[in-house]
Amino acid sequence: MKTIIEEKGNQLIAKFSGRLDTPAAVQTAEDVKPLLEAKDKEIVLDCTELEYISSSGLRIFLSVRKEAGAHGCKVKVHNINADIRQVFMMTGFVSLFEID
Amino acid sequence: MDLHSELILEEYRAQLPVFEQMQTEVMRTLREALDRIGLRVTALESRIKTEQSLSGKLALKGSKYQSLRDITDILGARIVTFYTDDVDHIAAMAEQLFEIDWNNSVDKRMLHQLDSFGYNSLHYICRVPGYDYPFELQLRTTLQHAWASINHDIGYKSGVEIPREYMRRINRMAGILEMADDEFSRIRTEITDYRRRVQQLVQSGKLDDVQLDGDTFGSYLEVRPFDSLNRRIAAINQAEIQEVPLNRYLRVFKAMGCKTLGDVERVVRQYENDAYRLARHQLGNTDLDIISSAVGVQNICIVWILSTGGGKLGLKHFFDAINGHNTQNDAIAKMTYEQAKKVMGYGL
Repeated sequence: MKTIIEEKGNQLIAKFSGRLDTPAAVQTAEDVKPLLEAKDKEIVLDCTELEYISSSGLRIFLSVRKEAGAHGCKVKVHNINADIRQVFMMTGFVSLFEID
Repeated sequence: MDLHSELILEEYRAQLPVFEQMQTEVMRTLREALDRIGLRVTALESRIKTEQSLSGKLALKGSKYQSLRDITDILGARIVTFYTDDVDHIAAMAEQLFEIDWNNSVDKRMLHQLDSFGYNSLHYICRVPGYDYPFELQLRTTLQHAWASINHDIGYKSGVEIPREYMRRINRMAGILEMADDEFSRIRTEITDYRRRVQQLVQSGKLDDVQLDGDTFGSYLEVRPFDSLNRRIAAINQAEIQEVPLNRYLRVFKAMGCKTLGDVERVVRQYENDAYRLARHQLGNTDLDIISSAVGVQNICIVWILSTGGGKLGLKHFFDAINGHNTQNDAIAKMTYEQAKKVMGYGL
């Protein structure tokens, strides 16, 4: 599991690749910390290369939404695959994030 | 300027740090008290009179003052409220916070004759414990503030005495704004009463008497109508429930033809078991132990759409309504349709 954060204009893009499961979540939570401190940015959680997400991964996405949202950021989830789409739907997270 | 006024100015210069300290204390006290009573205001501001302004005042009526302590507005604070009722509310709050000098305080709202209009504000001369100097607290509504500011601007610019006709027109505006202030207060009171009545109806279950709109749906959500379904769904995987706002479902229920909260309640009760079955089918084979509080109402809407023949397109419109239009909604709708078909049948 790899997380790369890039800044592009007013956007902070977190590119996830691999499987965001429980063992990977500890490192990923550490990797996304810069997003939690962002102010007035558009944060894109780019899932183009994310294969799988577990509950621990959902919690990380949720913490980004809560913390960064509190600092005036807009959080988007980008390009999820069919499996992750299903997870978002089943858990009601589909109502929680802007997904494109 | 005479010697007496010079002495007052000298005292002013020496005491400036004290006024600055008092200003910080007053602003902190007022801000904390407003937060405590949960009252929103349009402005909370203060200023210390400049030396130039004080000199002007002393030049005009310096002999009136024995010492700097007699000039009550060296420090001035002002709270501008949304509503007239709030002026009295904050006045009562100020009476608890500061010692009020009633001899020098004045309610300008009460000074007008029955047939006259003009400057309206409540001026309290206050003392902060531990300080020898008083300060002035002005309380007024946003509209009173607008009138006072414009009136000041006109008077300041003209440099000549304003003819009676113009003064009359300016004061007439104060009358109009007073009427508007009263009307805004009345509207607020009526809306508060309406919300209270709706909440009572919601709590007493007389939902057919309540029209469905943003306010009433908010009251309905306060009685947490989806909690029992969400708890049942959470129990499938012993999941935690993350609270999310559900207001966006108002437009979905409206699109479903619900006119009253009673209509919403009937949909909820009729479809909650199917909504649970859908969730059990989806989550039962996973170890997902986190759900959002939207999952119950989301599944109710899905099974309603499918049971009333809405099909994939109906689901797409639903996801468009709650997520905004985007390319993923089509795929989410297709996937949901396939899953629901397995559980519900619905002759799909």
